[in-house]
Amino acid sequence: MPYEFEEILETIRMTEIEHFDIRTVTLGISLRDCHDRNIEVTKQKIYDKILHYGKNHVKNAKEVESRFGISIANKRVSLTPISIPFDSCSLEEYLEIAKTLDKAAEEIGIDYIAGYSALVQKGMTNGEKELIKSIPFALSQTKRVCSSVNVASTKAGINMDAIRMMADVIKQTAELTKDRDSIGCAKLVVFANAVEDNPFVAGAFHGITEPEVVLNVGISGPGVVLEAIKEAGNVDLQQLAEVIKKTIFKITRAGELMGRNVAEKNGVPFGIVDISLAPTPAEGDSIADILKIMGVEDVGAPGTTAALAMLNDAVKKAGLMASSSVGGMSGAFIPVSEDQGMIRAAQSGNLSLEKLEAMTAVCSVGLDMIAVPGDTPASTIAGIISDESAIGVINDKTTAVRIIPAYGKKFGDFVDYGGLLGKAPIMEVRNLSCENFVGRGGRIPAPMRSLTN
Amino acid sequence: MKLKEEELRKITLDTIQELGTGATPEKVKEEVRRKIESSGGGDFIFKKGDVSSGRVILTSFGLNKPGIVAGVTKALGDSNCDIQDLTQKLMGDFFTMIMIIDISGSQKELKQIQEEMSKVADELKIKIYLQHEDVFRYMHRI
Repeated sequence: MPYEFEEILETIRMTEIEHFDIRTVTLGISLRDCHDRNIEVTKQKIYDKILHYGKNHVKNAKEVESRFGISIANKRVSLTPISIPFDSCSLEEYLEIAKTLDKAAEEIGIDYIAGYSALVQKGMTNGEKELIKSIPFALSQTKRVCSSVNVASTKAGINMDAIRMMADVIKQTAELTKDRDSIGCAKLVVFANAVEDNPFVAGAFHGITEPEVVLNVGISGPGVVLEAIKEAGNVDLQQLAEVIKKTIFKITRAGELMGRNVAEKNGVPFGIVDISLAPTPAEGDSIADILKIMGVEDVGAPGTTAALAMLNDAVKKAGLMASSSVGGMSGAFIPVSEDQGMIRAAQSGNLSLEKLEAMTAVCSVGLDMIAVPGDTPASTIAGIISDESAIGVINDKTTAVRIIPAYGKKFGDFVDYGGLLGKAPIMEVRNLSCENFVGRGGRIPAPMRSLTN
Repeated sequence: MKLKEEELRKITLDTIQELGTGATPEKVKEEVRRKIESSGGGDFIFKKGDVSSGRVILTSFGLNKPGIVAGVTKALGDSNCDIQDLTQKLMGDFFTMIMIIDISGSQKELKQIQEEMSKVADELKIKIYLQHEDVFRYMHRI
């Protein structure tokens, strides 16, 4: 037999018991040719294009699932940042476009469509200002549209004006969706150094240097890593890194195979594998549990950041060996609401916002799915975003903030969305003002690191 | 015979011209299909199934009892699946059986065979998984 008995059983165990799945296959579609001076024509062009490329996306992904016996959790679509091709639109027109995206997403049977975005790290055009102002309405009046705004980059610095604007947008979104625990904020990401080929929604968009259409895949599999570490027992850290690498190698290879097959069926080129470890609210599919099995008592204990750094590094090394098309975020995600272990740590008070911020310095993304009291001032949210941006800009990495100032809720309460978005305890925010700092406005200049030429 | 994309495009354009003003997307599709089928070049669009190498791996396990191998192999035989390799292990009361099967000779597609095997699995009260060979090759071989 060309395969060992144990190898075959290992694959079955991964998919059937340890929650190994492909987190997302995301079809990136360029909308740059969809502009027209008549908004109705623009809308029709957008709708037709999404349907043209996306109509069989879900069906094709399902066929690949059954062919290989590995499930694909999410089938999604990302688009050119809407503010770029449609820069001349007004707030009302952007809103019309958002509704068109929602309708197209529903028609092709996907739960989220991302790319209601703007890239404003250096400054804003009039169109980008309009789009940003429209975000709270777009997110409250649609179900499937996700939005992201890039406010900082290593090359451009940190756009504090944009951050202040985004803090207001987040507050307003929370209020407009207060009847559903401020769910609009769960669909809105503020980035520093956003990547153009990220397949993970809500932060996905189809970058302007990307081709007409492309298929990117995001792997998952914290449960598989958890079991491998358990099985390895009491080994030293170098050996532990080896165990993690071997596991990630296998799941990355499977991810690439699945992605290439979905791309082929869709008749579009394959883009990248994003080797991020992404948890789900399912028990055992948790990054926090991995950190605990590595040896820290709970997430938040001293040593947590080091453990996470090691995990993240091993993931990257194995992924690079496994695939020549690694891209996207590629690291480990630590969203609070989507990870049972993180929820417990936040709830018990072991995990503070400050420790979480430190952890984001060594893994991908950032403060993700964090719920804070509804009365948190906009200036404080701006401060949190600027801290996170600074970590990204100085370390030349992606960071993001997906924060939910849950309207009407206070420390100790919960927001509960069910499904993949999960449930988040309201975390405590330090009651110290940064109003005078963020209120200065302007832009924090690009750091030394930007001058690499 | 396999059709190249350019050839397919040419046939389509010719058809549109022949149909003239009566060319609707449906009519063109039907006519192009007829032309390709009559020229024997159907592989391009109408290839049967979607299994490239044609080999799938069947894994089954559960509580041991008489008739499991018979039940599984009979169902495979009925679908014209060729068993190329078979290995089996017993651990206490549990059995595990792995087979490499070539389904390219079968008139059925992988999905149909999977559905039939899941019925067999229910009857025998065991688990049966059928996965394309590529997933194992990708995960366990460099």
